[in-house]
Amino acid sequence: MADLALGSAPKERSFADKIWGKIVGLSRRSPTSIIGFVIILFFGLLALLAPLLMPYDPIAANPNLILQGPSAEHWFGTDGNGMDVLSRVIFGSRYAFGIAIPVVIIALALGIPIGLYSGYKGGNIDEAIMRVVDAFRVFPSIILALAVVAAAGPSLLNVVLVIGILDAPIFVRVVRAEVLALRSSSFVESGLIVGNPTWRILFVHLLPNAIQGAMAQTAVRAAWAVRISATLAFLGIGIQPPTPEWGAMIRQGAEFMVNGQWWVGIFPGVALILMVLGFNMFGDGLQDLLDPKRRSGGK
Amino acid sequence: MLLRRLVLAIPLLIGILFFTFMLIRLGGQDPVGLLAGPTATTEEIEIVRAELGLDKPLFTQFWLFLGNVVQGDIGKSWISNRSVTLDILERIPITLELLLWGVALGSVIGVPVGLRAAFRHDKWFDHISRGISLLGFSIPTYFLALLLLFIFFFLLGWSPPGMGRISLLISPPPTVTGSYLIDGLLAWDFSVARSALAQLILPVIAVAIISAAPIVKHTRAIALEVISSDFVRFARASGLSSDKVSRIVLKNSSTPVTTFIGTELTGLVGSVSLIEFVFAWGGVGQYGLNAIIRGDFAAVQGYVLFLALFSLVVFIIVDLLVLILEPRAVAE
Amino acid sequence: MSLLQVRDLHTHFISRNLDNEIRIAKALNGVSFEVSRGEVLGLVGETGAGKSLTAYSVMDLLKPPARVVDGVVEFDGRNLRDLDTEDMNKLRGSEIAMVVQNPRSSLDPLTRIGEQLVRVHTAHSDANESAARARAVEMLGAVGIPAPEERMRAWPHELSGGMAQRVLIAMALMNDPKLIIADEPTTGLDVTVQAQILDLLRELVETHNVAAMVITHDLGIVAHYCQRMAVMFAGRIVETGDVETVFDNPTHPYTRTLIASTPERLRERKQKILGGGAPPNLYNLPPGCHYVERCQFAEESCNQALSLEQVGEGHFAMCARMDAVREGWPT
Repeated sequence: MADLALGSAPKERSFADKIWGKIVGLSRRSPTSIIGFVIILFFGLLALLAPLLMPYDPIAANPNLILQGPSAEHWFGTDGNGMDVLSRVIFGSRYAFGIAIPVVIIALALGIPIGLYSGYKGGNIDEAIMRVVDAFRVFPSIILALAVVAAAGPSLLNVVLVIGILDAPIFVRVVRAEVLALRSSSFVESGLIVGNPTWRILFVHLLPNAIQGAMAQTAVRAAWAVRISATLAFLGIGIQPPTPEWGAMIRQGAEFMVNGQWWVGIFPGVALILMVLGFNMFGDGLQDLLDPKRRSGGK
Repeated sequence: MLLRRLVLAIPLLIGILFFTFMLIRLGGQDPVGLLAGPTATTEEIEIVRAELGLDKPLFTQFWLFLGNVVQGDIGKSWISNRSVTLDILERIPITLELLLWGVALGSVIGVPVGLRAAFRHDKWFDHISRGISLLGFSIPTYFLALLLLFIFFFLLGWSPPGMGRISLLISPPPTVTGSYLIDGLLAWDFSVARSALAQLILPVIAVAIISAAPIVKHTRAIALEVISSDFVRFARASGLSSDKVSRIVLKNSSTPVTTFIGTELTGLVGSVSLIEFVFAWGGVGQYGLNAIIRGDFAAVQGYVLFLALFSLVVFIIVDLLVLILEPRAVAE
Repeated sequence: MSLLQVRDLHTHFISRNLDNEIRIAKALNGVSFEVSRGEVLGLVGETGAGKSLTAYSVMDLLKPPARVVDGVVEFDGRNLRDLDTEDMNKLRGSEIAMVVQNPRSSLDPLTRIGEQLVRVHTAHSDANESAARARAVEMLGAVGIPAPEERMRAWPHELSGGMAQRVLIAMALMNDPKLIIADEPTTGLDVTVQAQILDLLRELVETHNVAAMVITHDLGIVAHYCQRMAVMFAGRIVETGDVETVFDNPTHPYTRTLIASTPERLRERKQKILGGGAPPNLYNLPPGCHYVERCQFAEESCNQALSLEQVGEGHFAMCARMDAVREGWPT
């Protein structure tokens, strides 16, 4: 064990070795995050390359081919309008990302500044903001989203806006907690002593640190966004058929499932589950890596 | 401390009431039309308008609305043509039956799994249970319900069709608690009880699966924190056997776990509503979702209000439980 | 006759970082010391020197990634490292008892303290419930807690810091220990309470012929309550001997610095402190003496392997340039 005697001054490794080492190291620490990342990558590729991958036009109705089971020509079968389920599932990944990404951006854009401000200012403003945030927690968010979208009207824009706004309080809480912890730390105090204006302290000093917790949450929130938007579509609020969005497809498929034409609803459902699972796994792994308290070991 | 919670609840309630009040005015449509329903005639619309004072300024409207709510009047559902309050009150025990059985089953499964995962931290049981828990987080509730029906009703034929709480061929028992199962047993009518039980199984399993995922995750997190605490380390240093140490961990985890399950209930009502919808269960959830879908806005208001009140009641009960279980809390 | 003999103890933290490289922090690097009955050994050092870790290594209470990789721990003639967990468990809390920091958070918050005392006793003996209770009351009285009968029903959060620490000592005494290890037993307590607790400890050692090891960063405690002392730096004992001898004739530069840094001496000498600085990097320790980076007497010869050398009767130090230090130390 001669090489261990000197502590662990690492010997120089080739670039490829280092990359492989990082991957192995990450997957040891958190295998879920790697699997999750692979799944997200897979669906990302599907979404990007959809036009190349789809065997048929996703919204081409063909009355002659209604409700055909999975076959060589139609791997996933056809639905009640004769449309190819496989193509629709592939194209549906675009909707999933098209919802998840804007939702997370909106939630972050709202949540981070409010969280920073609330945590930094403290006092009555903070109290008031936290009351509002708590109010959101009292409610099951599904119902809230449902009610608001139903009232405002079914459209993609409304769905994205509503879910984005509903997710913001979570970021507010996470960022605020970080700010509260950091606010009394020495580097903020020294920034104040030097005379930095408030916004500078907020954005230059606090933001980079406070943002870590928020980043860990983004993947999980993306998973939630995809899941909720599908629920909305399933209930007929939000995205309507024949749009090839997975939730709407499951809505169609629900009636057929009871009669035995399971492929119409099951395939989009499995795709939905996989994608949400991918985001959740990646997010769970992220949280493990970024939050030192959650890591195992130590005294 | 309890009083403080109650006092804080009031502005929260008013805020929620305001929100529900504003809800139907969100889309820019004339609220009268929404409240009276698509089947209302022009005269009926005018009557509703006058009754609710919808021709008056917004603030007066809200004041009238508050007054009505306090008296228990949330308006009339145009679908059922009855008072929303009555509609909802009738259905509360129906939803509670599903919710309570489901969460009970979910806890009975979830808590031990979470604890075991914590004790076998980073071993294969831990990883697998976390994976399954993540899966539970990833299945949309309604899809799970559909899937269960597909597998157990269509494929296997074990379960009756998901059409309500009792077979359509059997008449329901006299109402005592509102639960067909319990009322059937109370009336010694075993065919009723059996049918009610058969109808209960799948939706309860659905609720259990959905509730188990967060329970496993948080029970594990709580137990891990307790295991790494100073007093557990000291217990080990005192030479207590691992059995005794485990018991200490269990005891100290039970309060936070119970608190967590309580707060989970508030989120679970949403999932239960979806399950009710798929299984045509006939509880507040199905009523509320139907109302949202079909635009019965008075009923939507009632539903939203019910959810808020339910959450508040649950929080108060959880606080009371903490007072009972935790000697530290009493000292405050 | 020494009760506890630790020889050449090595404890490492072995883990993999994100780049999948093995990282080893060498926390204990050949720790050797002895504790005998009827005496108190004071283990001194700065934070991070490895004092608590030594205690946990002896008691086999390390959490991964920490592990004892080498060394002998001989207690009452037995090598503790040979024992399995069950046998170790029998020793812990009975023959070897530990008194820890943070007494209030070390007690089970949901169990009354009487019950906790009983629990420790029944775990290690055949005593029945009432015998255990009687003994618990007796021990509470022995540590100076007023109205011990009523105190049995107290909850941990109802106790003050000093009371809680006494309860911990009572718990340590429940099973007639041969060795008491006290890890920073007075940190965070009022000065008067500190004195009471330490007096209690010393009395127990003297009247019951118990062996005690007090881990502390406070030289004052060592000076007033210990008979022998061991100075620790970067996982090694750099000096050991009778308290009087070491204070009269500190040999290792680190020991000298420690003693010179006490407020009384600073006032006397009115000079700067030498040898302060950053804690050593346990992942990358120097090959010979670990103190080279902070020592003003460091030289090439200091980078060779070292061992404890005799300085006087029962007095040992680990320094390659002892004479140079003695001559060159500013007065």
